[in-house]
Amino acid sequence: MDLLGLLVYPGLMFLLALAWFYEWLDRRFFARLQNRYGPIYTGPHGLLQPLADFIKLLAKEDIEPAAVDKPLFRCVPILVPTLPLTVLFLIPISGVGAFVHFEGDLIFTIFIMSLLAILAFLGGWSSTNRFSTLGGLRAAMQTLGYEVPLAMALIGPGLVARSLSITKIVEWQASNGLWIAVLTPIGFGIAVLAMLAELEKIPFDIPEAETEIVAGWQTEFSGRKLALMRLALDLELVLAAGLITALFLGGPSGPIPFIPNIVWFLVKTTFVVLILTNLRALFARFRIDQMVSGSWKYLVPLAVIQILILQLLLR
Amino acid sequence: MSESIFTVPVGPQHPALKEPENITLTLDGEQIIDAKIRLGYVHRGGEKALENRTYVQNLYLVERVCGICAMAHQLCYVNNIEALLGIEAPPRAKYIRTIVAELERIHSHLLWVGVAGHEIGFDTLFMYTWQDREIVLDLMERITGNRVLHATNSIGGVRRDITSDMIPLVKKGLAHLGERVKYYRKLALAERTIAKRAVGVGILKTQDAIALCAVGPTARASNVKRDVRKYDPYSAYDEMPFDIVTNDGCDVAARIFVRIDELEQCARMLEYAVDHLPEGPIKVRAPRSVPPGENVSLVEAPRGEDIHYCKSNGSDRPERYKIRAPTLANWASMRKMLIGGSMADVPIVLAAIDPCMSCTDRIALLDSRSGESWAWNYEQLKRYVQKRYGE
Amino acid sequence: MEGELLRHLAKKPATMQYPFEKFQPVTGTRAKIEIDMAKCIGCGTCVFDCPAFALEMVGKGLTCDMKWYPMKCVYCGQCVESCPRSAIKQTDEFTLANTRKEELACEFKRSREE
Repeated sequence: MDLLGLLVYPGLMFLLALAWFYEWLDRRFFARLQNRYGPIYTGPHGLLQPLADFIKLLAKEDIEPAAVDKPLFRCVPILVPTLPLTVLFLIPISGVGAFVHFEGDLIFTIFIMSLLAILAFLGGWSSTNRFSTLGGLRAAMQTLGYEVPLAMALIGPGLVARSLSITKIVEWQASNGLWIAVLTPIGFGIAVLAMLAELEKIPFDIPEAETEIVAGWQTEFSGRKLALMRLALDLELVLAAGLITALFLGGPSGPIPFIPNIVWFLVKTTFVVLILTNLRALFARFRIDQMVSGSWKYLVPLAVIQILILQLLLR
Repeated sequence: MSESIFTVPVGPQHPALKEPENITLTLDGEQIIDAKIRLGYVHRGGEKALENRTYVQNLYLVERVCGICAMAHQLCYVNNIEALLGIEAPPRAKYIRTIVAELERIHSHLLWVGVAGHEIGFDTLFMYTWQDREIVLDLMERITGNRVLHATNSIGGVRRDITSDMIPLVKKGLAHLGERVKYYRKLALAERTIAKRAVGVGILKTQDAIALCAVGPTARASNVKRDVRKYDPYSAYDEMPFDIVTNDGCDVAARIFVRIDELEQCARMLEYAVDHLPEGPIKVRAPRSVPPGENVSLVEAPRGEDIHYCKSNGSDRPERYKIRAPTLANWASMRKMLIGGSMADVPIVLAAIDPCMSCTDRIALLDSRSGESWAWNYEQLKRYVQKRYGE
Repeated sequence: MEGELLRHLAKKPATMQYPFEKFQPVTGTRAKIEIDMAKCIGCGTCVFDCPAFALEMVGKGLTCDMKWYPMKCVYCGQCVESCPRSAIKQTDEFTLANTRKEELACEFKRSREE
């Protein structure tokens, strides 16, 4: 087992650094869209700001309310960053092949992502706080809205490459020199929108709506638990960007052979993160009933149509 | 399952509220089935403080009732005292007062559009409107010396003159703001996410608005055509060309449109006032002691009708001063607007009446058993406290 | 809206990087007051009219000194208007924040010329 690869590159250390880098990028771009600066002081150009926030939170007092369900309350912040980290090893980062790959790892990824939503619900439920309960309920309801179109959109590339392994899909795109996004543009759009819902970003940050239910299911977490949960959000961003890149944008491969794969990966995932941030700045927040009904009225039929088109194309 | 009914307290600390009040919502899932409102968290004893200071000192205390509608409160106060003294401010002073009051209305409405955007999760709109508001605040600082809490009125006129070098700045600012207001109007119409959160939310029908005494843009968005500047003009409003803006949507979207359209009317009035500024003195001398009497004055603050009552007793301090801020009148309609909606709508419905809790809190005593309500003066309150808590 | 967002990317941010960028106060802004003790006659009108009770007279009449508390002052400028000799002037020096309490009271003393 390649221990150095597991722990440093393209493993744990690299993924953590990438998570913090994307949070910085997201905050800076979001700020510039709104005509303000974003973090600029901590470290060169503010790059160390997410790390500083993480360290600060680790040092803060970890308040555990007396009425919470202790085992669950303590487990959720540990599981929430671990799950995306598990799945990140399935995504090709430094080469066309992922660190670990097996047939069907795409389905495994989708499964882990729905587990994250269940964890959000459990986090809110175990907090026994009215606002957290509402947030957890909303997280569960939101899952009902985006899971189906997301799964359908992500299966599209699998249909094209005739394989359910993310590595094989990337290899297909590299060997055919064609990005699957060109073949399934609707699927690409649905995947991006549904990823916004999964990451709980505006317009779908309903479970965590700051002005309505304080912080939703994350209300009661503080100190180290909150640090881990914020890290989890950043890791989910890396996961979402990496998954979309691998499935739709050709992963870490590109037409010019001299440039190493990792550069392609970084460029493409940065592009996806910028799209997600732009959508974040563009919209207001939906209500949960509007989100679920809108998803079933528009996203699901579009995803079905996309799959039908793909089947016709591939004949 | 009836177990899904539970109560959620919104406030006194809540991110949706900029100032503390308590609304206890009874929810069935996400639907609101009841709302109980408790006010009084920002009670600062302002009316008592006004009795302990001279009329000159009170000029500055009265404007601190609210930071955003400071000019409106100070204008109401000054109108009151001038009526008791029997003096009238010169025409130039009246025009300057109108100019500052309308500039304040612009800044208040822009602030509100930003806060409303923030409440529905639209932080970008918040940043953009507050950036445009900076134009107004810089103009205010140039004209009056301070960005908010302008303190530009004095008893008998205004304290600072608008010199000729300020007028091109005002016009330039208005031109830029005009562009931005057109853009915000287009945005409010076209942006689907705003429409989804604001249309059909927080409904207050016209007869309810009249029965529950809603004032200001809240009432005008329910098609109640009432504006103090038209039916009881003060300062130079009887010479200003403007229309009362109403909207028959009766929901939050209507309130957004009413405020954005009022911005256009403000710009119109400002253009007229700046072009027709009469020459002359900016204040008349006012005696320090006010002869005994009572007076009520009304002013259209950005949030609605602001009523001040003053009782003087011949000394240089008021005997009793009472302030009825517009938000207090709008709270009664709040319950009507909340019930039947969803939890997600609470912040925007709350924000739509443009609540200014600092304005609102004045003490009223209620005996919960007999249902009788009355008001005490300081001596009675002091005696009650001493009796209740010993010495 | 998207066009608006992208336009703002190209514009310079509206935020000023204070305190690294110096801020020029607007002409006529109301900030720190200065009392010209040569003109002061010790009438006490400014003390009487101050809404925040921020001015204090030390001594009496023509030999008094004045004390002004920046922390209590609301910078309204009423004292400037009340003074019958126009001895008080309002400047635009607004950087008055301080971490030491001793520096939070400004004393305006007369020059004692025998």
